[in-house]
Amino acid sequence: MATATEAVTLPAGQAAADRWRPTTAGWVARIGVLLGIFAAVLWVTAAVKPFWADRIALAVIYAIIGLSLNIVLGYVGQVSLGHHGFVGIAAFVAAYYVTEKAGCTPEGGCNMGAFLTGMVLAAASGAIAAGLLGVVALRIKGLYLALITLAYGFVAETSIFEISFLTRGGSGMPAARPNTFDSDTQFAFLTFVFLALVLYLDWRLVRSKVGRAILSLKHSEPVAASYGINVTAFKVIAFIMSGLFAGIGGGLYAFRSESVVSNDFQFAIALLWVLMVVIGGLGNRTGVVIGSAFFALFPFLVESIPGAEHFFADTLGRSASYLPLVIGPALAILTLIQFPGGIAEQISPITRWIRGEKFSMHPEGHGGHGEGHGDKKHGGLMAKLGLHKNEEEATEASTEEIKQDTEPVLAAQPEEPQGSAGHDDPKENR
Amino acid sequence: MRTTIVAAVIAVIVGIILILGSGDTSGPNAPIIIGLLTGTAYGLVAIGLVLVYKGARVFNFAQGEFGTLAAFIVYVLIEQVRSPEIPYWVAIIVAVVSVVLIGLIMERVVVRPLMNAPRITLLVATIAFALLAIGVEIMIFLPEAKDLPRIIDPLNQAGNPVGPEIYGFTIEPQLLLIVGILLVLAVVLGYFFSKTDLGLAILATSQDAFATRVVGIGVERVSRFIWGSAAFLGAVAGILYIPPSLPLTPGIMTAGVLIASFTAAVIGGMTSLPGAFLGGITVGLIQQIAQWAGGHYQIGEKFIQEIIPGSANVAVLLALLLVLLIRPQGLLGSEA
Amino acid sequence: MTAVLEVKNTGIRFGGLVALEAVDVTVPEWEIVGLIGPNGAGKTTLFNCIMGAYTPNTGEIIYRDRDISLLPTHRRTALGIGRTFQNIGLVRGLTVIENFMVAQHSRIGYGSLSAILGSPRSFAEERRLRANAMEVLDFIGLPHLANSKLDGLPYGTLKLIEVGTVLATDPDLLLLDEPSSGMGPDEAHQFGERLLELRKTLNLTVLMIEHHVPLVVGVCDYVYVLNFGKLLTEGRPDAVRTHPEVIAAYLGGSVEDESGEAEPGSEETLDVTA
Repeated sequence: MATATEAVTLPAGQAAADRWRPTTAGWVARIGVLLGIFAAVLWVTAAVKPFWADRIALAVIYAIIGLSLNIVLGYVGQVSLGHHGFVGIAAFVAAYYVTEKAGCTPEGGCNMGAFLTGMVLAAASGAIAAGLLGVVALRIKGLYLALITLAYGFVAETSIFEISFLTRGGSGMPAARPNTFDSDTQFAFLTFVFLALVLYLDWRLVRSKVGRAILSLKHSEPVAASYGINVTAFKVIAFIMSGLFAGIGGGLYAFRSESVVSNDFQFAIALLWVLMVVIGGLGNRTGVVIGSAFFALFPFLVESIPGAEHFFADTLGRSASYLPLVIGPALAILTLIQFPGGIAEQISPITRWIRGEKFSMHPEGHGGHGEGHGDKKHGGLMAKLGLHKNEEEATEASTEEIKQDTEPVLAAQPEEPQGSAGHDDPKENR
Repeated sequence: MRTTIVAAVIAVIVGIILILGSGDTSGPNAPIIIGLLTGTAYGLVAIGLVLVYKGARVFNFAQGEFGTLAAFIVYVLIEQVRSPEIPYWVAIIVAVVSVVLIGLIMERVVVRPLMNAPRITLLVATIAFALLAIGVEIMIFLPEAKDLPRIIDPLNQAGNPVGPEIYGFTIEPQLLLIVGILLVLAVVLGYFFSKTDLGLAILATSQDAFATRVVGIGVERVSRFIWGSAAFLGAVAGILYIPPSLPLTPGIMTAGVLIASFTAAVIGGMTSLPGAFLGGITVGLIQQIAQWAGGHYQIGEKFIQEIIPGSANVAVLLALLLVLLIRPQGLLGSEA
Repeated sequence: MTAVLEVKNTGIRFGGLVALEAVDVTVPEWEIVGLIGPNGAGKTTLFNCIMGAYTPNTGEIIYRDRDISLLPTHRRTALGIGRTFQNIGLVRGLTVIENFMVAQHSRIGYGSLSAILGSPRSFAEERRLRANAMEVLDFIGLPHLANSKLDGLPYGTLKLIEVGTVLATDPDLLLLDEPSSGMGPDEAHQFGERLLELRKTLNLTVLMIEHHVPLVVGVCDYVYVLNFGKLLTEGRPDAVRTHPEVIAAYLGGSVEDESGEAEPGSEETLDVTA
């Protein structure tokens, strides 16, 4: 029906059949650049002093935590303000296992088997903790879920992290590194292995039916269900995957610091993690990794500028390590208001080139991947946060709203007996 | 009507416990009094949250930091500015006005550009603003706790505590001041929302975004007013509540009061001002009684608080979960 | 002729509001059954009950002699009930071809775990899904849009894509919610032709909500009329069209609809004098 006329009216550049493809040399160049970036990162890690290798390990751990949050924020479209709970629980579980059960000591170190078991337990405990939240998320959404996660993190902070047999009070629970990866440089390489694992899992997640199902849920649960997607199962799966990544991040965090103290996991850090994912670019793996690493390294980079430490310490009388506390949120506000696509959008000419498109500063009208760019202001972020329309303020004239629901009263409040309170129902998708 | 019933039920329960526990100093009576008083402060912050939610449909995570900022400004004016010596009341006025200005700046710079963005985007923006405020506080004042003097000295010249005494527990006069101010605000807000054009316009916004345009009051003016008054309420709460109850450290109102206040607002139904006030009292009571019970009762050989530390916060989380799962519209959800 | 779908005595209330009351609808094999009625009559609500988005208070939904009243939506999809939405049921964050791949969700031959771990099977299945999706895209004549984002595509194209994705769920019974909305008379006519063709090639049974009377008369074998949540009448399209109560319902309905957002002209298409 009428396809011929529609094809004519389509904007130019959307035809996929004659899509531009790089030449063999072009592919070689792209792969070369990609390998070059990897090699450079690894070379820097090997070449720098242990102090910096330790910072790089932290950046990698932040990247893993960022990818974990990205599942909830970017793919599911909900906000988790309690991620320090998952990360912290996992860190303590890993430390508890290697110290109390496997007999690792700071002096004697740890064998690889105990370390790996500790990491598996950490990942599992993170997955369980987040899975429970996923079950809550089946009933409670949006702003209210954000509140639940905040309270959950707060309880983890003041209650779980104070359980003395698990955390040894304020002195902390030791977590000895495996003997083969004892030095900071060796340990940094070990974290890269786990980052690669998480990136691989995340890639498979997005590019398989699981990711498509989760992204569909974010946009519309009724549509997803009518496609045959088990809404309940995939929502919980998403949270479990997020918790799994958070658990891996938490386990590595424990071994990096070699002693876990509850003070490391306060709710301000969870809020900062949310910001780093937003700045990185929601739903975009590369952006999130860069944004997270930036947040981890930024304080140390500022301090390492010649004269900076002197300037902050003597002239201002303030440690430079406080600077990110101001710059980070300010960047986040700037991102939200001016650059909703985050770092991912800023570097998208490069990432699109590496994926095999022509180099251009402007995205083409199509994208053949599940992650999506923020092509226009707010539109991109809106789509990523999964709020295809705002029920109270239908301000965005979209094709979806051309035809309004002709049974608004019934459609809006299927489960709520008291119609008057319906707009305050946290169960409604917002 | 429902407000009265809920208030009466809370009053009766509290009354019964107080009567049953009279004469027992280790009983729950002192915690109940403290709970009522801290609950009032939670209610004050919760009213600000409800106001923003009514107008902008977002949870304002910066609501707590309005209070911390105000307290820091007061601290600078009365503790660090030595000549001329600034009277406390002048410091309070300057602090409140400055924080209202900060609220207006936040509205203009952060909220306005995101007015039509999804609510979760705006939520993240308020978080960013709160963190920015905390960052600035740390930069200027360092993380160490400051001591902000009270408006009303709790000790008389002889060094004895002043204020009414109940069950061997002396109530701080400043906490009573919070109750008084809250009652005044309740009357003012009640008048505002039932009698003034702007108040009615805000109510209309909370029902229907387009209604305000019909009424002829600009959405932007409503938005400015809402964030300005939220900042005002936050500032008052911070200045009054921090000195007798919390150390003045960066982010203290966010860490110490905000979650309880959110729970209070949710229990009250998120759109109900009396609900927020009653919710605040409920949360204050829950916290104090849970903490008291944690140190009073034993499971086996151990006190509850040794098995579950932080029982006060666990109880608040459970209350929040229960309300959201069982009665998501809160106790007074549909009332204005 | 066996019934594919039987809606028996179905009723649903929202608070005090009765949305559907004792509705009986039967859709026999290989028929196209129309569901008409003024806005607010409960047509989409009935679809939601059939798909399991709402749980009716009374009655049962029978699909091929099986009571599916308590099955969740995704199970009903897997059984072969496909549904389109009034305001376009597509996943807007995904590309066109990805929508077609999600639509095949219940026919995917790998588990979630093997997907995340990346088993060879999952890669092979993904290639098959993509090939299937391209096949359906070819079938509906839009292969060139495979990698397009949905944003910015014309409304009519989106409608067509939606029907295509529902076909990709491999349905037996197709529930169409106002498929011709946003189309002109010619397009609607073409759509009707297309639907008859589809039924032949894919062996489909259809239940369709439709305002556009020429389309209803042109393709439907049988029509049910809903008004205020109750069945007003049923019968052959020609008979129903001239039924006095139907005319009255539509005229009464059109007064209410002036505040509604429905597309203008939907009422006019019911030619009262015909």
